[in-house]
Amino acid sequence: MSESELGRKWDRCLADAVVKIGTGFGLGIVFSLTFFKRRMWPLAFGSGMGLGMAYSNCQHDFQAPYLLHGKYVKEQEQ
Amino acid sequence: MRSECVLGAASDSGQEAPRDTWFLQGKASRRFLIKGSVAGGAVYLVYDQELLGPSDKSQAALQKAGEVVPPAMYQFSQYVCQQTGLQIPQLPAPPKIYFPIRDSWNAGIMTVMSALSVAPSKAREYSKEGWEYVKARTK
Repeated sequence: MSESELGRKWDRCLADAVVKIGTGFGLGIVFSLTFFKRRMWPLAFGSGMGLGMAYSNCQHDFQAPYLLHGKYVKEQEQ
Repeated sequence: MRSECVLGAASDSGQEAPRDTWFLQGKASRRFLIKGSVAGGAVYLVYDQELLGPSDKSQAALQKAGEVVPPAMYQFSQYVCQQTGLQIPQLPAPPKIYFPIRDSWNAGIMTVMSALSVAPSKAREYSKEGWEYVKARTK
């Protein structure tokens, strides 16, 4: 992986993390105000979910070149 | 004489429920509908904009927000000025700070690694010099 491609992946990861954490936080605010009586846990839950999703996407993005997709081949009887 | 609370006693006797309970039930259901609409709209907005989808879609959404939000904020401030008659002073443009994090990080890593690589030889050299100094002083 070239350094420019690595830099692009890092930029994409950071942007993705910002968007997902912000979206989770925003949804947490909405649900906290509407259904959960202004408790704090929906905000933490939403932010944590966004962070986890961003981490998963980043991990998949960085590991993509090295993933080997194998398949099982039956041994032919001699 | 013992009085017991029997469910449905009011309906059995043919009396209707008091009007205020119906009103409260209607108010609660209206409130639930409004809250449900707001929450459902937020969830639909997230789904429609694919904010929780692949990373390239999120990056595109962030870029689009960066292009759309500042002009919208400016127009909103202009609208507020026109409606209220207030004159918001125009702030000077923020200084553009160029700080290449990637280059600084790479330079920092190379500096630390080169320092670690010469650390044993430098430590030997400094200890030798210190020993020579102590020997010279004790003579």
